[in-house]
Amino acid sequence: MVSTIFVGLVDLVSGVRLWPVWTALAREDIDDQHRRTTLGPVWLTINYLMFAGTFIFVIHPSNTEQGSIYAPYAAIGLMIWFYLMDNINQAVTLFAREESYIKGTRLPLSVYIMRLGMQALIRAVYTLTGCLAIVLISGFFPTFGWLWSVLAILVILATIPAAIILLAMLGTFFPDSQFIISNLMRVGMFLTPIFWIYTPGEGGARGMLYYWNPFTYYINLVREPILSGAPHISDAMTCIAISAFAWILALYLLGRLRHEVVFAL
Amino acid sequence: MNISLDVRNVSLIYPLRTKFSLAPKDHRVGGRDKRINGQGRLRFVKALNDVSFSLSSGDRLGLIGNNGAGKTTLLKVLYGIYPPSHGTIAAQGRIDALFNINLGFRREATGRRNIELRGLINGWTQSEVDARMEEIVAFSELEDFIDMPIKAYSQGMAARLAFSVATSLKPEILLMDEWIGAGDPPFQEKSRQRMRELANRAGIVVLASHNHKLLRDTCNKIMMLDKGSVLHFFPDIDAFEKHSC
Repeated sequence: MVSTIFVGLVDLVSGVRLWPVWTALAREDIDDQHRRTTLGPVWLTINYLMFAGTFIFVIHPSNTEQGSIYAPYAAIGLMIWFYLMDNINQAVTLFAREESYIKGTRLPLSVYIMRLGMQALIRAVYTLTGCLAIVLISGFFPTFGWLWSVLAILVILATIPAAIILLAMLGTFFPDSQFIISNLMRVGMFLTPIFWIYTPGEGGARGMLYYWNPFTYYINLVREPILSGAPHISDAMTCIAISAFAWILALYLLGRLRHEVVFAL
Repeated sequence: MNISLDVRNVSLIYPLRTKFSLAPKDHRVGGRDKRINGQGRLRFVKALNDVSFSLSSGDRLGLIGNNGAGKTTLLKVLYGIYPPSHGTIAAQGRIDALFNINLGFRREATGRRNIELRGLINGWTQSEVDARMEEIVAFSELEDFIDMPIKAYSQGMAARLAFSVATSLKPEILLMDEWIGAGDPPFQEKSRQRMRELANRAGIVVLASHNHKLLRDTCNKIMMLDKGSVLHFFPDIDAFEKHSC
């Protein structure tokens, strides 16, 4: 198993080294999507602001304690969710979309993984701008505690390639998964504490959705330092454990299946 | 450096993977071809069977055979796209390939940007791209259009650009799936000349084609494939000519 993980790691490193290729392709992908528009990718910020603004306006709780933090709470949750959803939904069909490259070039599979990660990151920068605007307008201004959120974002960024590998492999060998995943992500937005606030000690379905949902921990990790000044250690430990497990499994699958993908497309 | 390509007992078993799916069963994968073995979800085709040959600097190998004989598959195995199931490939020298020259071209991007992207995909560094840029633009004769999106190009202009980028190689071992050409008659002559120069510059060329005349003119060795196996290996063109008569 260790040697297989090492093979996966070699593929990953060789792909990362080709950063001029995947950054150029990702930039071109984003430009292509907005080339004919006047505002270009700024539409991503506008879309986010409209979506987040509508939800905050409609769902804003009357409870003063929750109401005072609700706008940044929902804005940050939604920004992270959009970034994760973008990666996850596209990862399932990644290798099928890249078939002509995979069957026509010798680029390592990790080039396509990084290309998708980079695309989603560029889009996320535009939503981040909108999110920051909502947070600042809500009266939350930068403190040193926000550095924890920056660190949390780095943890998410570092985990995304592993998630893309896992889902791309799943989608390649089980094509139906693209529909299962997109449906799960659609309902997942409502099952994850993005718009609703969990009250500690609350049991029932909400408690289960809160504790058994891995997205909860990543979103909390970014959100808590901005709202309360520091992250919860338990969130950080859970995220690191999930990320480490995801990476081990992803590298194993990449090492084990990287030569099989070309035959499965 | 001594350029060589040594292929020993290479076979490729291509799995006809029936993916786990809830969709109705796909019956397009037939079972009549004797090369298709296995049952149910574990079907496979022996796309290459025990292929061996050895080439050294100056060799030009032509691959012939009917459609489905394994020519393109062999080229892709040599290039490293398909890993061989058995056997070994030992290459001394950098391998370049001309398979799909339009791969990676983006309609919305300018000609110049497409040259850059294609170069990066080929494995060139940014400074190599910059160094070759003007030569590629000049060869394509698209100087006045190079900063326009290629969706504004005619088919012929786009083909000229694709050809110019794809053949801007300094190959040591060159793999080609059919001889490529592009453009109007004057450009076609220019592209023929370019291809001849490219083949001459390469230490080793492996060219798959149905054009026997082209292979006679270009190659010094011919390998005939049939259903993934080597039917004949002609060590020189005279032997191939005798067999063809």
